[in-house]
Amino acid sequence: MTGTEIAILWAAAIATLSVYSILYRENPVSRLFEHIFVGLAAGYLLVATWTQNLQAKWWAPMVVEGRWYWVFAPVIGLLFYFIYSRRLSWMARLAMGVFFGTAAGVYFREFFPLYSPQVWASFKPLRPIFDAAAPPVSVSLAWWNAVIQNWLFVAVLLTVMSYFFFSVAHEGRGGRALGRSALLGRWFLMIAFGAMFGNTVMARLSLFIGRVQFLLYDWVGHYWPWLAGRGT
Amino acid sequence: MADQSGSSGQMGAGASAGGFWARLQQIPRYYIYLLLAAVVIWQILFPIPFPVTPSATTRGLEEAIRAVPEGKLVLISADWDSSTQAETGPQTAAVVEACFRHRKRFVLMTLSPPMGAKLANNIASEIAKQYRATYGVDWANWGYKYGTSNVLMAMVKDVPKTVGSDFYGKPVKSLPIMRGVRTVKDIGLVVEVTGLAGMTEMWIGLIQGPQGVPFAAAYTAVMAPGYYPYLDSGQIEGMLVGAKGAAEMESLIARPGLGMAIMSAQSWAHVLIILFIIVGNLGYVLARGREKSG
Repeated sequence: MTGTEIAILWAAAIATLSVYSILYRENPVSRLFEHIFVGLAAGYLLVATWTQNLQAKWWAPMVVEGRWYWVFAPVIGLLFYFIYSRRLSWMARLAMGVFFGTAAGVYFREFFPLYSPQVWASFKPLRPIFDAAAPPVSVSLAWWNAVIQNWLFVAVLLTVMSYFFFSVAHEGRGGRALGRSALLGRWFLMIAFGAMFGNTVMARLSLFIGRVQFLLYDWVGHYWPWLAGRGT
Repeated sequence: MADQSGSSGQMGAGASAGGFWARLQQIPRYYIYLLLAAVVIWQILFPIPFPVTPSATTRGLEEAIRAVPEGKLVLISADWDSSTQAETGPQTAAVVEACFRHRKRFVLMTLSPPMGAKLANNIASEIAKQYRATYGVDWANWGYKYGTSNVLMAMVKDVPKTVGSDFYGKPVKSLPIMRGVRTVKDIGLVVEVTGLAGMTEMWIGLIQGPQGVPFAAAYTAVMAPGYYPYLDSGQIEGMLVGAKGAAEMESLIARPGLGMAIMSAQSWAHVLIILFIIVGNLGYVLARGREKSG
């Protein structure tokens, strides 16, 4: 390892330990490294946008290939800064309007292909029929599996939807039935949230394990080869 | 979970009653963190692995890679950075390995955040050495492309023009891997590796749905549950869930790597957390019972 690489290794180790020091209590060192991380990310974004996008797609066509009209592109972008002028802020709204309009257009375009297949997929056959040309290995087992899954799917879908149906009071015969369905829907939602929380724990642990691996294998392992060897 | 005083959570109904069970709810959080760190370090140094069984979602992704026709590319959209690297790094490595293993040519691309292009490039270059794969022929990196949905919409018409230059600043048209690639329909499979919500919606809404390009994904475990409906509807061919998904893919292609290395620590840490949950709840219920009875 070169001197620069060792310095980077130490910087990464110190940054990791400093950020984790918040587990003990709120402290300025942890905050400092948090801000450094955000600053580095912003700086990286700026450089990457220039080197991998603007240089090839804006600067080179304008300066090298002589397409001078690209000079107007940043002028439009700079209109955003008129937001700071009370008199000329209408110019910023022009640029924002274009952005909002484009975003709305893209979203409209995305919406139907994104959600319609899920609406179709929610119509499950409660009595499934397998393709006669390619039946599963165990027809009866696969059939019962599909039946249970589809009935459960429909039950969860309807009860959860009833939970979000607020237009009818849970009184009277029909209202009480809706109330019971909504209660069941709430239980299904809680089970789903529990599964999501379990996944969140798994994700956070993975991040922690990744950092511990770095500290043990790379940082301490650099000085104690036995440790580095455990990671290979 | 914990307040600044160091006790873990609120005291609950039974705390005022005192006693051993009430104290179970007031274990200082430092002990919990230290115990968790100890278990993780123990398992990193002396792993006792749990068996890894590939799930249907992981199999789906592997089969989707396998099914990419000859002459078409796999596009790996590495939309992640160092904040999720522990999960998305092994996932990217597993997908890259699977591509090399099944002799599928692939390209990397990053829509957001920009650091993904560099981190994914490091991973792919390392693995490419093992397979003696050549950059520009067997794989390439289109780099970070600014503009997210605009980039995707432009790729529908003309991929080389939209991408312009690769990660190293070289025009992509000059790369042999780009021969025959004109529009997005020349891509056989898109694999989105991300910890960002919203990227999948763009890929499906603008590319998978309207253009019919198969789509698969690798998500951080936090966001994965939200995307199961897309699997059910067939919009996503397969999915890796967190580091576990990476480990499953590694076991499928018989190449243990970064994912497997995380899993034993992950599993034992889960065992510890389950114990904490049992002990905490037991303490709560029994302390409440004591309080009610007297």
